[in-house]
Amino acid sequence: GKHLLDVAHDNNIELEGACGGELACSTCHLVFDQVFYDTLPPKSDEEEDMLDLAFELTETSRLGCQILVTKEFDGIKIRIPDDGY
Amino acid sequence: FGVVTGIDVDIIERLPTPYGLVRYGVAPDHPEVKNVENDFAALFENQNDASSVSYYGNVSVGKDISLSKLQSLYDVVILAYGCQAACKRLGIPGEDSLEGVLRAREFVAWYNGHPEYGHIGSIVQKCLWNTSGDDERELDSSAISPARVVVIGQGNVALDCARILAKGKPGLIDTDTPSQVLDILKGGVSHVSVVGRRGHIQGAFTIKELRELTKLKDEGNNATFIVRREELERGMTDSSKEELKGAAGRPKTRIDKLLQDSSKLYHSSDEDSKKQVELRFLMSPVSLVPKDSNSDRVGNVICERTKLEGEAFNQKAVGTGETESFPADLVLVSIGYKGMPLEGMEESQMFDQSKGVVVNEHGKVFGADNLFVTGWIKRGPTGIIGTNIMDSKDTANSIMSFLDLKNNNAQPQSSSSEDESESLFGRNGLEEFLKSNNVEFVNWEQYLRIESSEKEPSRLRSGDHPREKFLSVEDMLIAAKG
Repeated sequence: GKHLLDVAHDNNIELEGACGGELACSTCHLVFDQVFYDTLPPKSDEEEDMLDLAFELTETSRLGCQILVTKEFDGIKIRIPDDGY
Repeated sequence: FGVVTGIDVDIIERLPTPYGLVRYGVAPDHPEVKNVENDFAALFENQNDASSVSYYGNVSVGKDISLSKLQSLYDVVILAYGCQAACKRLGIPGEDSLEGVLRAREFVAWYNGHPEYGHIGSIVQKCLWNTSGDDERELDSSAISPARVVVIGQGNVALDCARILAKGKPGLIDTDTPSQVLDILKGGVSHVSVVGRRGHIQGAFTIKELRELTKLKDEGNNATFIVRREELERGMTDSSKEELKGAAGRPKTRIDKLLQDSSKLYHSSDEDSKKQVELRFLMSPVSLVPKDSNSDRVGNVICERTKLEGEAFNQKAVGTGETESFPADLVLVSIGYKGMPLEGMEESQMFDQSKGVVVNEHGKVFGADNLFVTGWIKRGPTGIIGTNIMDSKDTANSIMSFLDLKNNNAQPQSSSSEDESESLFGRNGLEEFLKSNNVEFVNWEQYLRIESSEKEPSRLRSGDHPREKFLSVEDMLIAAKG
């Protein structure tokens, strides 16, 4: 299966993944709606550690490189935080 | 928008190799952080007709070519040379006069194999092994140095230094730490104290680096992580509690919890660990003293206990008069990098000496026609790799506005002078200038030869060893031209 970061790149969506998906940055930061966020598998300490550094962190933030896409994702909307540029 | 039809970018770098701190600052046991190199390498691979990127390594601006010459050759010049000096000083006795006192950034450059920091090796060797009384050459590569190291400062660089010293060769064998460095570190040092003036909530380190220290023992490094409950309590002033509140306080809240949990975990059975790494808070270094009255070598770091006073986010560490002496065979001062002006810039208004940055607004340099800045030399030595993404977008915006304005105001040129000036402008002008001045620049293809030479199996310690870096510019140039 693919992670959201790979899917974004496959579809030419501008989602940075500076560390190549190895939990060494927070550039693939994504924001979900609460209901869907609650269905996602829990975060590891390492993902939490990197999220701490993310720009405009929210209660429903995750790192795209850690989220495996399943058929339940069909039709959902995910927000890429706007860095103002 | 203007008539910019494509952009050619030339990247000029003093060393033969690119990447700056990604090659010489990021710790060797953080290879995943270096993955950003792939994005940079892709710039050179994915060229198109409209835009291109070229690399010129081994070219020193200020020495091989002046900044003003560059400004005359290009539409835009961007300074992105970071912070080279560590002029931030403690200002305490012994800081400059005693042997065995290094800047953390020198130590980091050395353990990463920077060609200009090889001399740090013999200093570290002397600090770690001259005290042992044994003939150092007889010692096994897993021998633990009895040396006590004091790191002053608590940013991620300080924690990196502590971790590298605790891991030593066994813990670093599969990383790109140069073999010469591992031969000096051997099994690591018995004791590292990382000392900070303020409390644990104010420490500049981030949780990832802290967590790595707590896991040293479990990962087989024979090193216990120690933090004193009493110091966590002293640091938890009402103002510190304020600093933990809300979403902004989340990172610090998690750091507090990790430290509290770590302070509970220290058992007497951990005496079995041959090495210790401790974080000491509310300790301000007041002087470095020699080993004894006949010595030029550092022997102790005298610290004064502090207490926090003031409002949240503005607490100051105030001395209490109580002191503690830390034995030290090696002192690493890790209190911040600082930027330097380029040759020729010192006298001008362009450089802010106190902040160590080039004066700018959104990356455009004041008082200079086509000059821009980005990265640490623009905003100071803070942030992580990702911080530079936004920073560079900010500068890029300023550049595009500038080019737009320039194009709208452009005077039409007569065709004959256009042909002549084109050949002496930009990339062609640069190469002509460098060649006529016998500057041996390294292009991208040649850099790739350096890279693949460093990965040559005959150079490697094992199948897991990523590369054996060249430790001198000479060796890099030989590989580049070969």
